[in-house]
Amino acid sequence: MNSKSVPVIAERLTKTFRVAHRSAGFMGGVRAIFRPTWEYKPVVRGVSLSVQPGELVALLGPNGAGKSTTIKMLTGIVAPTTGSVRLCGLDPHRNREENARNIGAVFGQRSQLWWDLPARDSLVMLRDIFEVPAGEYRERLRQFDDMLELSRFWDTRVRHLSLGQRVRCDLAAALLHDPAVLFLDEPTIGMDVLVKEQVREFLRHQVAEDGKAVLLTTHDMKEVEHLAERIILINDGEEMFEGGVAALRSRFGATWKVHVTLSDAVGHPRLAHARIVAREGARVTFGPRPEASAPLGHALKEIINAYPVSDVSTEEDSLEDIMRTYLGGAAAARQSASGGSRMAAR
Amino acid sequence: MAGGTALRRSVYRLRLSWKLTSLNVRARLEYRVEFALGILAGILWQASVMVFATVLISRFPGLGGWSSGGVLLIASIRLLSHAVYGVLFANVNRLHAIVQEGKLEAFLLRPLPVYRQVVLHQFHINTFGDLAVAVTLFSLALRRLALEWTPFKIVFLCAAVVGGALIEAAVQTALSCAALRSPTATADWTGWLDHTLSTFGNYPLAILPGAVSGLLTFVLPVAFIAYLPAAVLTGTYEGTLVPREIALASPCAGVVLFLAARRLWNWNMRRYEGIGG
Ligand SMILES: Nc1ncnc2c1ncn2[C@@H]1O[C@H](COP(=O)(O)OP(=O)(O)OP(=O)(O)O)[C@@H](O)[C@H]1O
Ligand SMILES: [Mg+2]
Repeated sequence: MNSKSVPVIAERLTKTFRVAHRSAGFMGGVRAIFRPTWEYKPVVRGVSLSVQPGELVALLGPNGAGKSTTIKMLTGIVAPTTGSVRLCGLDPHRNREENARNIGAVFGQRSQLWWDLPARDSLVMLRDIFEVPAGEYRERLRQFDDMLELSRFWDTRVRHLSLGQRVRCDLAAALLHDPAVLFLDEPTIGMDVLVKEQVREFLRHQVAEDGKAVLLTTHDMKEVEHLAERIILINDGEEMFEGGVAALRSRFGATWKVHVTLSDAVGHPRLAHARIVAREGARVTFGPRPEASAPLGHALKEIINAYPVSDVSTEEDSLEDIMRTYLGGAAAARQSASGGSRMAAR
Repeated sequence: MAGGTALRRSVYRLRLSWKLTSLNVRARLEYRVEFALGILAGILWQASVMVFATVLISRFPGLGGWSSGGVLLIASIRLLSHAVYGVLFANVNRLHAIVQEGKLEAFLLRPLPVYRQVVLHQFHINTFGDLAVAVTLFSLALRRLALEWTPFKIVFLCAAVVGGALIEAAVQTALSCAALRSPTATADWTGWLDHTLSTFGNYPLAILPGAVSGLLTFVLPVAFIAYLPAAVLTGTYEGTLVPREIALASPCAGVVLFLAARRLWNWNMRRYEGIGG
């Protein structure tokens, strides 16, 4: 596939910020003016990713992992320190204006609308800026309104909109010019359950029906489970994982349980994917074999084939559980690593 | 054909700028009281400038080889160019606020030049008050001076006013680059610049010690805004630190400096690092 047909390609992106180092106290402040010492802070360290048309990829990671910084490099807001980005074949930083027509972006924390005016005025202005033909504009606005119920509040000044209302207007604003790529940085922050569902439905439609390539960051794992085909997990600016939800499960040792009620007493044939972890009369609980954590689906099939089962229920780690385990482990590893280096320095 | 498209693009650009401006005027009108108070404060300020100027003319017979009408001419050219600067570039020295509010990042997501979006970002009605006062003072100066107007002088005057506006825009643009590189940069020095220009820009620099006058000619090019153009219009060349030919070319200084400042600005814009978060 050539680079034009893949909407988003980033290769070995890095970003290092230079920050002025200021020692404490008055003299520290004075010294910082005359002889600033710079600290180099690597924030993104070799992230590669791609997003295909009609695909929604979730960029996950803890606070400060470098998700927003990555999105800023992909949208052309800041230049990468090293590495390359191609968006619909363009370098988003070099060809910023041209690239702007191909992308839409929503930053949940910040609005791109005119704060003091009704949201609709911003939409009209953006229509003119992006030169959207009047017919298309009307058609798209009607569609957005159908799905996001914008007309209930788009005559309100943006400053008076609730967070969830404002982000919905921002979503409409980002998609008004029908970009091929959509970047969403924590779009559902502060939304209630119903609105979240509405927005998810809207995004699913954008991806499945309109073939948009979407890159999403969020801390809401439910959202990821509902929307994302693929996950990219970064921590401390480094890419830790890339793949589907199922692969993430097996990679990070996610566990499952199968509870069955046996209809007949039988012996216990050895299974390839599961082992008994508890039993109480006719109720038996299976878990993965420690040496190979098989996907739940395989194990379930095997169990049902081998046993006379009258009732089955399953239990699986949620993505949230997996992330919690993973992040907890990563934090512990970091702590022991820095402890180790301190020991070495002594 | 290519000419036709180019023309269409410029018409489109102008219409878009106009739409953005009217949108911003409407945004300002949302705060009616503030808007009205702003105009009132503007009128009071302008009135005080007028009173000061009238006192200046009636009390002083002249200054550094300049008649009082000549001094008024310098002051009014300075104010005219400052007013033109204000109408077109008033937002440049507010760049730090635009950056800190995260608006610059929204600008970067639109298919328009960032500098243009900065310049059009807010509309300041008071700049028209500045313009009105400047025009009034200018006509007062003309009445006192009884200059002979030739087509050359009229064209030169217009060029000088635009050039002066561009000099101010150039200096403010260059200073505003700091806001692109460090989000904590404040606008303190743009206030300092305003002050320097209104302190020294309105008088014949010949009255100042040579070193200061040199500084204000060759380092911070205040002389090129109004003093040298007024010297050309009145033929008062004694005490200027540059030859007559340079004084005649003074409107070009603004163009050159502004183009240089814009390059510097773009260079810094390419190195914008974001405001975190
Ligand atoms: N302009 C900047 N200058 C210096 N440091 C920065 C800048 N922008 C971001 N950082 C730092 O880079 C790191 C990553 O920030 P980033 O905003 O990309 O994280 P994130 O993954 O989006 O986190 P969150 O989940 O909290 O939004 C942070 O430590 C932040 O302090
Ligand atoms: Mg972030």
